[in-house]
Amino acid sequence: MDVSQIGLFALADQRLAWLDRRQEVLAHNVANADTPGWRPRDLGPFAAALSARGGVTPVQTQPNHLPGTAAATPPDVVGRPSERAPDGNAVSVQEQLMKVATTESSQELVTNLYTKYLGFFRTALGHS
Amino acid sequence: MDLTKALTISAQGLDVQTTRLRVIAENLANQDTTGSTPGADPYRRKTVTFENRMDRALGTETVRVKEIGQDQTAFAQRYDPSHPAANAQGYVKTANVNSFVEVMDMREAQRSYSANLQVLEVTRGMLTRVIGMLK
Repeated sequence: MDVSQIGLFALADQRLAWLDRRQEVLAHNVANADTPGWRPRDLGPFAAALSARGGVTPVQTQPNHLPGTAAATPPDVVGRPSERAPDGNAVSVQEQLMKVATTESSQELVTNLYTKYLGFFRTALGHS
Repeated sequence: MDLTKALTISAQGLDVQTTRLRVIAENLANQDTTGSTPGADPYRRKTVTFENRMDRALGTETVRVKEIGQDQTAFAQRYDPSHPAANAQGYVKTANVNSFVEVMDMREAQRSYSANLQVLEVTRGMLTRVIGMLK
């Protein structure tokens, strides 16, 4: 049985990957909270990342053409930062920590759902 | 894996703030350091700047100390003819360290340090939760 063929597992997988990536981007912002000229970055919303997957693929008109891989989208620079220091740094630590908290709770939700769903399978298999 | 990268980035963030704090301590400790020969320059305040640089070993960008520079503002002068560093007019140059500036800088370093520590703890929690899915 391939669990990634089951909708919820596949979705949880993508969601976790997105949350991991976001946590990395936010860690960057906090670590650079005192770097001159640093502008905070963030990922686009998960829904957009989800719909982008498997949407556009390069056309192969020749057998020699490479199929192409989905490039990891670079983190977006936040359009209008809420504050800016005289040295050009625009990181608001509070805002970043709020985002970290949101990411953490979403990750908790996904891992719990995953475990729960896996538990259903265990029950069905009689291993409960 | 992105979470382990996030851990490294936060750890590097803690590291640069520690360096910053070390420089602040150096400035504060030397705020009364003068020269020892007539007309000699006293201690010159040091400054820290950070930059985001690619770390090839980690495969990600991390924050680094760009440069520990020197503050080029002019030295203050104090009239003290008996001092060994006094010039012909009897003035001694004193270090260009302002303890208020240093203390405020220290507060900011502390704030950034705890922010990085918080991100580190959250990331560790997320990693633990993922490992917990194996149970």
